[in-house]
Amino acid sequence: MNDIKEDSRFKSYISENELESITLDDSQRTKFLDGETIVCEAHTVLMYPPLSDRKKYMAGVLTVTTFKLSFATAEETEPSNCYQQNLLLGVNDICLSSIDVIYQVGDRTKKKLTPGQNVTGKVKDILIICKIVEKNIVNALLHHAYPKRHTLLFAYDYKEPYINQTLTKEVRLFQSKLDWEKELKRTKCQNWRVSQVNFNYQISPLLIETIIVPKSVTDNIIKESVEKFRNRCGPVWVWGTAAGAALVRMADLLPAITDRTEENKLLEHIRKSHPDKKPPHIIDLSAPAPKDVQASYLKLRELCTPENARTFKSQDFKFYGLLDATKWLTHVSTCLTRAWEAAERISVCESTVVLQEGNGQDLNCVVSSLTQLMLDPFFRTKYGFQSLVQKDWVALGHPFANRLGHILCKEVEASPIFLLFLDCVWQLLQQFPTAFQISETYLTTLWDSAHISVFDTFLFNCHHQRFMAEVGSANSHPPLVLRSVWDWREQFSERDIGLFCNPLYDDSYRAILKPHAGLAGLEVWTQCYFRWLPDLEIRNGGRPQVDLYSRYLVSEILQRQQGAGELNGRLSRNKEEYVELIRKVNGFFPFSHNAGRVDTDPINNVLLTGDTLDSQSILNFNID
Amino acid sequence: MNRKTGSMELLEMENNTYNKTLTLDGFRSDSKSNLLNKQETTSWGKTSPSKSYCSSSSTSTENVVSTLERKKAASNETGTMSRPDDPPVLPGEKVTGQARDVTYLCPYHGPARGVLTVTNYKLYFKAGDKDTPLVVEVPLGVVSRIEKVGGASSRGENAYGIEVFCKDMRNLRFAHKQENHSRRNVFEKLQMFAFPLSHKMKLFAFEYSETFPENGWAVYEPIAELKRMGVNNDMWKISKINEQHDVCDSYPAVWAVPAQATDDDIKIVANFRSRGRIPVLSWIHPESQATITRCSQPLVGVSGKRCREDEHYIQLIMDANAQSHKLFIMDARPSANAIANKAKGGGYESEDAYQHAELVFLDIHNIHVMRESLRKLKELCYPNIDETKWLSGLESTYWLKHIKCILAGAVRIVDKVESHKTSVLVHCSDGWDRTAQLTALSMLMLDPYYRTIKGFEVLIEKEWVSFGHKFQQRIGHGDDHHSDADRSPVFLQFIDCVWQITQQFPNAFEFNDYFLITILDHLYSCRFGTFLCNTERERIQERLKEQTVSLWSYTNSNLDLYRNPLYWANNLQQRVLDPVYQRIRELLKLKDQLEHMAEECKKEQQQRMQRSIVSPT
Repeated sequence: MNDIKEDSRFKSYISENELESITLDDSQRTKFLDGETIVCEAHTVLMYPPLSDRKKYMAGVLTVTTFKLSFATAEETEPSNCYQQNLLLGVNDICLSSIDVIYQVGDRTKKKLTPGQNVTGKVKDILIICKIVEKNIVNALLHHAYPKRHTLLFAYDYKEPYINQTLTKEVRLFQSKLDWEKELKRTKCQNWRVSQVNFNYQISPLLIETIIVPKSVTDNIIKESVEKFRNRCGPVWVWGTAAGAALVRMADLLPAITDRTEENKLLEHIRKSHPDKKPPHIIDLSAPAPKDVQASYLKLRELCTPENARTFKSQDFKFYGLLDATKWLTHVSTCLTRAWEAAERISVCESTVVLQEGNGQDLNCVVSSLTQLMLDPFFRTKYGFQSLVQKDWVALGHPFANRLGHILCKEVEASPIFLLFLDCVWQLLQQFPTAFQISETYLTTLWDSAHISVFDTFLFNCHHQRFMAEVGSANSHPPLVLRSVWDWREQFSERDIGLFCNPLYDDSYRAILKPHAGLAGLEVWTQCYFRWLPDLEIRNGGRPQVDLYSRYLVSEILQRQQGAGELNGRLSRNKEEYVELIRKVNGFFPFSHNAGRVDTDPINNVLLTGDTLDSQSILNFNID
Repeated sequence: MNRKTGSMELLEMENNTYNKTLTLDGFRSDSKSNLLNKQETTSWGKTSPSKSYCSSSSTSTENVVSTLERKKAASNETGTMSRPDDPPVLPGEKVTGQARDVTYLCPYHGPARGVLTVTNYKLYFKAGDKDTPLVVEVPLGVVSRIEKVGGASSRGENAYGIEVFCKDMRNLRFAHKQENHSRRNVFEKLQMFAFPLSHKMKLFAFEYSETFPENGWAVYEPIAELKRMGVNNDMWKISKINEQHDVCDSYPAVWAVPAQATDDDIKIVANFRSRGRIPVLSWIHPESQATITRCSQPLVGVSGKRCREDEHYIQLIMDANAQSHKLFIMDARPSANAIANKAKGGGYESEDAYQHAELVFLDIHNIHVMRESLRKLKELCYPNIDETKWLSGLESTYWLKHIKCILAGAVRIVDKVESHKTSVLVHCSDGWDRTAQLTALSMLMLDPYYRTIKGFEVLIEKEWVSFGHKFQQRIGHGDDHHSDADRSPVFLQFIDCVWQITQQFPNAFEFNDYFLITILDHLYSCRFGTFLCNTERERIQERLKEQTVSLWSYTNSNLDLYRNPLYWANNLQQRVLDPVYQRIRELLKLKDQLEHMAEECKKEQQQRMQRSIVSPT
């Protein structure tokens, strides 16, 4: 049996008594982090892989801790074949923050267990199906998977000492004034200035302390005008060109305000800040709204996580129609189209672009960061990309805690806006394979990491919240140790981090990216959405072959550049390793669930049995 | 979706544009001025003696130059370069008509004015009023239908002209000026050379006279290919019973049958199989001896006729594989179609009559369904994609569903042969459409030889050309019956399936997708003899090998164009257009350079060492 890691359909059956209890040796047992405590444990649990229709299973021990749901089994998994294995989680572990819905399944019934009416939106939703409800474990899960207060998240309990070593050199966090000044200087955008009007969060806790505004805008103007904007999110500069075209984002005026004078005044300041006094181009980003994205995502997830082979087949039969109905790719297309509109205005017309959206913190983040990726090659490097996410998402206050549904709360609107962005980046990467230093695997892992409640990066709604958590509070919680998700060594080995680099990257590629944003130019991000279905994986094939072959070439080149002296021995071994790996690599590498499997049944029955086809046979006219 | 195949014409066009800007650079200024100043009379340079013919004075002087006039002009010019507006021509290609002041209505870039030339091979349009001339070049074989748009009374811009419908997923619109009276001639010339067979003329392939260093006709030798698979052996023998094509007129002269089968048996079996297409060997597994054989449907009919010799013959095929006591008969059709065929005297093998045989229907639809499906796909893709119905529209074409069905069928065959060591017999109704798709695809999956460039050529020559896929009928080379019910994109569909496999297994194929596109382009072009005629017998009658050039002569003389840099066995420099390939090629180059440098260093070091050993003494 293979390993099922954080499965989309993680069914576990607490079995009746025919099963022998399982004994695990030390290496097989669930490992715990410092500060993690066991809440509940159930022995002799069966775990069924997706689409197995309960024919295959793995027996083991299921544990709920304050951090994760863990399944430990005595069955062999081949560790050398597991890539992208998170150091914080075991092969069959899943972070509680990743849990979306829990179902209770009887013989014929399936009941959703609340609290948590669809609390979060994540690909790695988990379906725990218990035949005989063992009350303790389910209750423990329900309690810990859906924390009601932010301070109950595991990050607050995590005791592992953290030393931030090299990170600051690699990523600019955009929390300090210095980073913004540097950015302004780097882009050579004139007539804008750094303002610290929000120092100590005086005017708004939702804003960062340092913002960049037109030179002509005084702190007083800012103070007066922010009142008029939703979320107090007035126009702020995020990026610009030496020619003076800037990228600016802002929220809508408060719904109660009908008079747009205040907005127009600021737009006039923005116009004046342009060297040629060109009026800015305003792009309205009111659609899709976060709730549309969420609805679309839920449909997409349903399509990517069929419960059994039957569902899979019936979905497969009308796959493109269902995909169309999810509207997911339509949203991706919209974002890319808007971003290109902005990029074209800035680069070709050299005019300033103002992005405007309801609260100013959802689509603004997506389109603004995509625009910068298209225009500025720096953001396509690994550190550049991380800095971009820090700047446009973390610092400028994308409400991650709400959108990712970390906390159980009725008013909060969860929506995978960040995933939408990552999907858009993935599309760009497909269309411009040599323009990015980061790889597809990096993007997928980044999405996964957004749900691991150890890192602070995607844990808060705004920087002020993070600040408060870091300070700590006498009566509720101790100071939080901030751990950045960008410190990848916390989660992965060097070998896995190596896979974050795109071997095809060409650092001389500096052109503007003009994507095919139409639906026909977009693809489904299979690595991210379909990796939990081992049956869908291309055995010994797929894009990873191209990826690995390029990696092999790059590593050979590097070695040759370094030491032309001692060749033969090491190099040929290097080649053999790669050749070996490429031969056995599967389509979802490095997230493959088939990696260690010696397959006795190479033919994929789910895909090939003809009964569904026959019964719904396509068009039975024109008999020859 | 195979979006990439859509780029085929673009690739061609880009290449041509590129060539043209190089070769015709010197003439460009000339032609440009002509186009800009309609009144100016000289159309091809000052030296031309045929000036008077083209001067468009106020009278209705023809803007079109007839063949005769061109010939005269050409002979007077005594071997000088072709005129600036003339297209580059292939050996054997001749300009037959030309019209100036024609507007090409490009669906993407809007109208462009230029010169439209018709040769006996292609339609060639060049618009010179831009810095980079727009060139549209379409081999006339690709044309399926030509229509006049608008009449003498048509008003409005570009309302009067010609529309050309192509077999390769595009249509072209040209607008003529009524007062120029150029349309009629162009239309006639197009009709004549796009549909030469309807005008009692020969296809261009018979005029084309280019020579290549490689001889593509030698690529496939049936006996050599059978020997490669180890035939003759104990179980299979090469039979020449069909040397005169009289047992089966749509089969090749040479084939392999079970060693135990007698000639008399074969003749009786041929009578029981539709069009005499008896089960013969396609492929044999080098280890297990499990085989793939192909044939047509048995002539069972409503009464359920049986044929003892046929049953015995099938038994021989099963017995030839000692590893299994079972045989799978894969009937490519949906079962309903197979049953319906009984009414017409056909049908399928009953499991009562054929013991140990298991019959499976693969549910692949017939040529009419496929034609309709592709028509819908074209409607969806060309000229512009409607964003709002792209995905659901794609689904409702069923094209990908058909592709899936065919691939799934091939995978099932492969599974039986490879994993269960069981022989498989494949047929559909006549065994020249779906059967060829299935046997060729499963062979491609089973045998890496067919994934090399030459191996793939052999596969096409063997499973498609020699076993009588009716290319002439399915494509409709050179005839104007555009709505002929025998036309169907069966071979295109096969290539699409191959493309899907290459996408899933990027390093398993020696060839790249440009190779596949080239094959498809020349499937229609009628420049090469490879895809002409329906059967081997017709090809011999037409003396194709002597009179035409093989497509493989062309491809094999320029293999670098078609190599996949990711292919395991071959990692040298390629010319490719895909950015991924491009980058990998650059990296390969860099690696080679470094290797070379290292080698040099080593040599130098050794020399120095030797010197230092020598010098002290």
